[in-house]
Amino acid sequence: MKKLLLGMILLGFVAMPVFADDSGGDIHYDKPVIGVLFSHASHVEEAGLDCDSCHNDLFSMEARAVQEEQDFNMLALSEGRYCGACHDGEMAFASSTRCASCHEGAIGFRRSLGLNDSGGRH
Amino acid sequence: MIRNLIKNKQQNEGVEALSNDERRHFLKMGLKLTGVFAGGSLLSLVSVVVKVYATPGQFKDKYPYRPHYSMVMHLDYCVDCERCIEACAATNDIPKYGFRTNILERQIPDGIDQQVEFMPVLCNHCNVAQCARVCPTAATYKNEQNGIVMMDVKKCIGCLSCQLACPYNARYFNEEKWAVDKCDFCFDTRLSKGVDLTACAEACPAGVRIFGDISDPKSRVYREVHQVSRTVWVLRPEAGTKPNVFYTRG
Repeated sequence: MKKLLLGMILLGFVAMPVFADDSGGDIHYDKPVIGVLFSHASHVEEAGLDCDSCHNDLFSMEARAVQEEQDFNMLALSEGRYCGACHDGEMAFASSTRCASCHEGAIGFRRSLGLNDSGGRH
Repeated sequence: MIRNLIKNKQQNEGVEALSNDERRHFLKMGLKLTGVFAGGSLLSLVSVVVKVYATPGQFKDKYPYRPHYSMVMHLDYCVDCERCIEACAATNDIPKYGFRTNILERQIPDGIDQQVEFMPVLCNHCNVAQCARVCPTAATYKNEQNGIVMMDVKKCIGCLSCQLACPYNARYFNEEKWAVDKCDFCFDTRLSKGVDLTACAEACPAGVRIFGDISDPKSRVYREVHQVSRTVWVLRPEAGTKPNVFYTRG
């Protein structure tokens, strides 16, 4: 029994960093416009949100699946859907402000994903 | 010593003894301080146009073109989606290595939440166009009617003087045309065919690029640039080229 307990504690220590790595990381959207960054680190570690704050109500677990939705755009956000559920100006800054907080742009997108920029801009 | 000062201070000479000259001098000092003599630039209630162009009342004459094409950039709306660049490339047949418009990125490490700002840039179609001044063959020139800085590709000898002269890095050498290429506010591809918007302004999903005739008081560019309550600026005003691309926020 003791061994089992010890094992579980050890497993817990080993599993912790694995869990942290598994918390989603950075997601770089490219639809409907290229270069929107969602950082799990700033939402989970800094803002202290739980997984079930957003999953699976607002977003499914599969990264970038949401960008296939037709209404995944700024209008929906302003109506309180998707990111707009929190980014309403009260819980978090309104989605109609500080655009480049989330929009890393094509420049940021290419930089984050290590895409070669030497081939030109378009 | 201190006693002497107090004594002197008590001996106020009054204003009766002041000559008219001295009074005038004092008044002039006040006018200088309040900026009246500095063209109103110290304590100015007039919009940036005055500084860019001339003194109040004169600036209408200082839009020498009809229409006088101009663009206002709402800087903080830009998210670098680069649809403007794509639309420009498709419309004006821009090669992969070239550009007529571009997006610059500025890092602001101390910013709250937002630590990046994007800045769309293109030819400023300056009233005092340095490129046109240095071009030895007049291949690049100001269109006399609408003020657009244009290229006569056949005349370009590829000396690249214009690239050096341009304070805005708005030119590239097009190897297919074997000439320098640059933004012409889509004159060849759109404006001359009756379309009233540039490709980039039409493609922008965020309403960053407002294009229009700044000599027309009814146009949005005129209203925004002349709105006293709005801060409007130009890039590199020290170059003295009187650019026609304005920047603002909000």
